[in-house]
Amino acid sequence: MDTFLSEKNRAVRRSVRSFCTREIFPIAREIDHEASFPWEVVEKMGKLGYFGIQVPKELGGAGLDSMSYVIVVEEISKACGSLGLCVTVHNSVAVFPILTFGNEDQKHKWIPPLARGEKIGAFCLTEPNAGSDAAGIEATAIRQGDHYVLNANKVFVTNGGVADICLIFARTDLEAGAKGISVIVAERGTPGFVVGDLEDLCGMRANPVTSIRLYDCAVPLENLVGTEGMGLKMGLAALNVGRTGIAAQAVGIAQAALDEAVKYARQRRQFGVPISQHQTISAMIADMATQVEAARLMVYRSATLRDKGEPFSQASAMAKLFASETSSKVTDMAVQIHGGYGYSKLYPVERYYRDARVTRIYEGTSEIHRIVISKGILEG
Amino acid sequence: MNDTAMTPNKIIVCIKPVVLSASGGTARSTDSYELNPFDRPALEVALQMKEKRGGTVIVVAMGPEPSAFVLNEAMAMGADAGILLCDRALAGADTLATSTTLAAAMKKLLPVDLILFGTRSADSDTGHVGPQTAVLLDLPLVTGISSVDALRNGLRVERRIDDFQEEYEVSFPAALTIHPGAARPRDIGLLGMVPAFEERKLTIWGLKDLGLSPDRVGESGSATAVLSLSKTQRTRMCEFITGSTDDQVDRLLDRLLASGLL
Repeated sequence: MDTFLSEKNRAVRRSVRSFCTREIFPIAREIDHEASFPWEVVEKMGKLGYFGIQVPKELGGAGLDSMSYVIVVEEISKACGSLGLCVTVHNSVAVFPILTFGNEDQKHKWIPPLARGEKIGAFCLTEPNAGSDAAGIEATAIRQGDHYVLNANKVFVTNGGVADICLIFARTDLEAGAKGISVIVAERGTPGFVVGDLEDLCGMRANPVTSIRLYDCAVPLENLVGTEGMGLKMGLAALNVGRTGIAAQAVGIAQAALDEAVKYARQRRQFGVPISQHQTISAMIADMATQVEAARLMVYRSATLRDKGEPFSQASAMAKLFASETSSKVTDMAVQIHGGYGYSKLYPVERYYRDARVTRIYEGTSEIHRIVISKGILEG
Repeated sequence: MNDTAMTPNKIIVCIKPVVLSASGGTARSTDSYELNPFDRPALEVALQMKEKRGGTVIVVAMGPEPSAFVLNEAMAMGADAGILLCDRALAGADTLATSTTLAAAMKKLLPVDLILFGTRSADSDTGHVGPQTAVLLDLPLVTGISSVDALRNGLRVERRIDDFQEEYEVSFPAALTIHPGAARPRDIGLLGMVPAFEERKLTIWGLKDLGLSPDRVGESGSATAVLSLSKTQRTRMCEFITGSTDDQVDRLLDRLLASGLL
């Protein structure tokens, strides 16, 4: 597997793995249980560059490649899915659009604190009546003098409870349909910016997923990212990058489940031998390992294409679909191998099982991905 | 003379790539090596000195080519340059041949103000290399340093040994071996990766570059040879005493008395 990695990529993996083993894994169970966001660890991650993985050095980031990005996300997710989610969403769908479509003033204002992790970013697209159908959003941004007045009800916002810089998808032209949607940055603390309660979720519980509501929230016109009407185009570009990250996250969670299953199968004895010696169990391990490996290769391929400047949206969509479905299967098998203990909070596999489930839903459901992929094949 | 003039301008940290796992017959790759954990505090002390007072930190290691990875990691932590001493003739070196090789590299790097070592290595655990290299270079040496303070004309260092604490003043150039507790090594962050792998210089010096003859280095230049290496058998046994607390205390006392330990 590591054949595909440069020395730099390997060093990234080793350094992140070492940090996660020492700082993140030991608290993962507790922060999941308490649904708390570990600020102390997040601050350390910020100082190490985890929140500006691909941000150029001159803007305070690590200036690394996409391969490094997926490795970082995989390793963090292996220790804690919630923090992997925080990092991938921040780096891809929050930082990437500003970096790619923002003007110089916007980049210099928002990127350095985001890259250092001093400010956390969020991507606010989903609404109660608009998820997979992104063009159906109802949020509005009406020009009034030198401001946009935003009214929005954004739900299931990853990082919502801690986000300072939020990319709001809103209609700037009420008549133009999908082409009337724009991205406008709203900062926490602006009058009318309201953070909702924490969502009580099945998994990813240490990520402060909330709603964000904007009530006549006036933000300067210069907070428009790109131009009016290109919101959906920017959103899709960001999601292309983000989906590779979610796929990497799914691989990380699946790898963690596989590692635990192997460990348990070697130590748990039934019928006088370790259960790993029973063919049904060893066959499950073989299937799990093969699927994780295949998913990881798809993630690496997507990252490599992006690093080479080649089209990668199809590869990203396939990686996300396969890795998330794989993660659900593999974590389910890990629970099964653990038997009753797998259903208990004494072992981490039940957390992996819960965390993996949502990777099939967010940043595009598996169903939407199948539509995207098939369109690419049938109409491409 | 002002403080800045006496800041160590060039600090060399000798680091050892130690083998993580050595299964027989497996070709060693980048992932086979890690930076000796006992050298990390020495590197940290050097980096802190550089951050406070400027100067350059150069890391030097001896090993096969894949082991250069530890130099990259040290550069990712903040070292300015790395030098790998790499030549087939260097293989099989004992601590004397290693020190001879390192001393030759140090001479090439002169003028040097300060040379830092860890106290020992995680694999062979001899603690010889720092002192031997200092002797070969005719440098003053203080071992097991727990703290370093800059003075106008050198360094004040503390050395802890058993229940005592010694203080020394050393002038440059000097060599120190750094106690593992002297500084908590920093994490290798992502911010240092691009500088380490794409910007900073990693040089490889072979035997010719070092000006050494093959009979002084590697196995042929070694004064000692390891005759055999085998795993030791652990004879300690672990026994769990169960029951109520009172029962456990009684049974523990019985066992200790019976074994003559009480």
